[in-house]
Amino acid sequence: MIRPTRRSVLVGAAALPFLRIGRAHARTAGVLTFGLSSYPPTIQPWANAGTAAGTIKLMIYRGLLGYDQKGALRGELAATWVRDGANAWGFKLRDAVFHNGEKVKSADVKWTLEQIATEKSTAYFRTPMQGIDRVEAPDDTTVRIVMKQPTATLPEWLASFHTPIIWRKSEGPQPIGAGPFVLKAQERGVSLDLEAFPKYYKPGLPKLKAVRAVVYADENLRVAALQTGDVDLIEYVPWQSMEAISKDAKLRLDAVDGPFMYLVFNGSKPPFNDPRVRKAVAHAIRRDDIVKAAFFGRGSALAHLPIAAESAFYNPELKDGWAYDPARAKQLLAEAGVAGGFTCSFLSTAQYGMHKDSAEVVQQNLAAIGIQAELNLPDWATRVSIGNKGQYDMAMMGTTTDSNDPDGVANLIDGSLSPAYVRSFGLKTPKISELLAAGRAEFDPAKRKAIYRSVEETAIAEVPLVGLAWRSQGYAMQKDVTGFKNLPGALTFFSGTTLEDTAIS
Amino acid sequence: MLAYAARRVAIALALIWVVATIVFLVIHLIPGDPAELLLSQGGVAPDPAAVAELRARLGLDRPLLSQYAAYLGALAQGDLGSSLQDDHAVATELIRRLPRTLELIAAAGLLALILGLPTGTVAALRAGGGADRVLSSLAGLGLSIPVFVVGTVAILVFAQYLRWTPAGGYVALARDPVQHLILLAMPAGTIALGLGAVIFRMTRSAVLEVLGRDYVRAAEAKGLAPTRIVLHHVVRGALVPVVTVLALHLGTLLGGTVLVEFLFNWPGLSGYLVRAVEARDYPEVVGIVLVISVLLVILNLAVDLLYAVLDPRVRHA
Repeated sequence: MIRPTRRSVLVGAAALPFLRIGRAHARTAGVLTFGLSSYPPTIQPWANAGTAAGTIKLMIYRGLLGYDQKGALRGELAATWVRDGANAWGFKLRDAVFHNGEKVKSADVKWTLEQIATEKSTAYFRTPMQGIDRVEAPDDTTVRIVMKQPTATLPEWLASFHTPIIWRKSEGPQPIGAGPFVLKAQERGVSLDLEAFPKYYKPGLPKLKAVRAVVYADENLRVAALQTGDVDLIEYVPWQSMEAISKDAKLRLDAVDGPFMYLVFNGSKPPFNDPRVRKAVAHAIRRDDIVKAAFFGRGSALAHLPIAAESAFYNPELKDGWAYDPARAKQLLAEAGVAGGFTCSFLSTAQYGMHKDSAEVVQQNLAAIGIQAELNLPDWATRVSIGNKGQYDMAMMGTTTDSNDPDGVANLIDGSLSPAYVRSFGLKTPKISELLAAGRAEFDPAKRKAIYRSVEETAIAEVPLVGLAWRSQGYAMQKDVTGFKNLPGALTFFSGTTLEDTAIS
Repeated sequence: MLAYAARRVAIALALIWVVATIVFLVIHLIPGDPAELLLSQGGVAPDPAAVAELRARLGLDRPLLSQYAAYLGALAQGDLGSSLQDDHAVATELIRRLPRTLELIAAAGLLALILGLPTGTVAALRAGGGADRVLSSLAGLGLSIPVFVVGTVAILVFAQYLRWTPAGGYVALARDPVQHLILLAMPAGTIALGLGAVIFRMTRSAVLEVLGRDYVRAAEAKGLAPTRIVLHHVVRGALVPVVTVLALHLGTLLGGTVLVEFLFNWPGLSGYLVRAVEARDYPEVVGIVLVISVLLVILNLAVDLLYAVLDPRVRHA
């Protein structure tokens, strides 16, 4: 029996690193392993089922339009698109086939758009598409979409991963699309196997032979799997790991500020039915503390409407519209007749760290101006339900806009829309609603910019939401993965579209 | 005996019905709407008309009592329904996932026995000595370190540093048996550490107790070899309480491997249950809980019947 001595233990410990077994990562040439953050609850083409589902949808489906690597609109199944009269858009289809070999025809486009808008639809774009008056298909490659009203934002809607074109005779659980990859197999809750579609309409694409999407729900395990080489690419890089990944010589981090955190209010009752009280809250928040506490410094303060600095619609003179100013906050409370502060309920969720951490910072900041916010932290499902019913005074939210078009914020600030947990409850914003409608109907870029400037000015005064912080949204990959790109701003969750250009060198 | 068995089976069936009813009611009463949730993924506002349509399609707009009657009717025919999210049959998914969790628990139990039984015996035989003190402190450590810490450290050391195993995941046994076992090792080992410490303590105290028994003294007086006494008389006698405790712990692990399954990406029953609750997928939640409780009820039923076989007094009680 060898007695363990201090020396033998130290020698043993020193030898440990050499015990590493060079377990070659079982890589098959041309096959990319993608670490997803969650298993898509469903990959039905038109329903919203979250961002992981969006990535899979961007592999197996294509719409009329899409986005290029810089986030600009480009033709997908449509080669060209033009405005055609006051209310209409014309599209010329390219020579493309569905996964079953059938040609993509104008009849498929017409059928798809009608399915999205039908009364029985559960599609995300159901209401916008109900703005379509009729879809004309004069020949197999021409589509003319006639709207009930002039609609400048139709191309953005048609570029969404919620509006892919499906073969009109699709039956069974898996609708047939025309994307770069074909879904070959899925093990529910575990993985999805996709293979390149050889007859994809872009010559030479996709570059990969196959993609294996494996779910790693635990963010730390997802990072570990990337570091050990089990996976080639991961989404939702946790903020605390971004530093380590960007320093790792074998890995590459691609992060953009896209999603953001914000506050919404119950505008149907005091105290937050008074815009001065809402504005007081907006001026009371130290936004850098949220970026530090919830996102490890990976993000930036947001003291205006969530319109990114890169956007053509960004208004630099309004960027500090809700800047931290506790004296102004107290003055606004006094003007509203609640100088002594008050107690209110504050809804967030304990299920997601960023929601909870951001809420705790806000709670402290509000206490400093005399507002006692009592945190309610149920699970996400309950939080959504409570939010939709307006059973709160103030609530924490985080999301992205639908696109980088400024109309993307409409969903969050238009008080004429139905009650929803993503926007303030019972808060009417007639002026904003009117301006947003005008913006959708305006085609001239300069006039549109002026309209959305007014939207932002009005919003800063009326405070239908309080912007808090942009948060960094990251993908990370092995250095030899090329062609994958995190799309800018709100389009970050469209990045799956670049998997067609992705290769492993 | 037959009447006794029939009575026990009837009670077991009633228990299952009670469990099914309670779970059904509770999951429907807590806030959260599956249709709303499914269409709100990623923090977006769904169209209320789309939500209403989905709710109608899933039959969630019917009165609770009628949903309950339909559910019981289907259950009586052995139909557990299908997921509200993707219409996948709950039974199919259960058949796929249950063996994985059972395998994980069995492997962890085996490892824990291998860890706990010999060390517990040694500690008892050398009670108060150096080995006992070291082993007892180690067991205390094993008991007090939370399973997610053990798991995280294991991933750091064995996957990220030594690179002996992938960081987590699952490969079917039929697809790659070696990889399957490698992937099983870390989660099973993580559970086994805490469980092994329990078995160590139980073994130690049981062996100590048996050591003081008259028949051990008689065996020693008879001049039997010490190894033979320990193996054939002491350990065998100490096994009964150890196995009882192990069985109890394995039962609770059936729905309690959540953290380990999550940590190591092991697609078993617990993770399935958690995700089903998060999504308010009523048929899935009820189906999973029902299967777990049926397993526990069957286990108890078997034990009850076994008692009756062993002890005639029970039958007439």
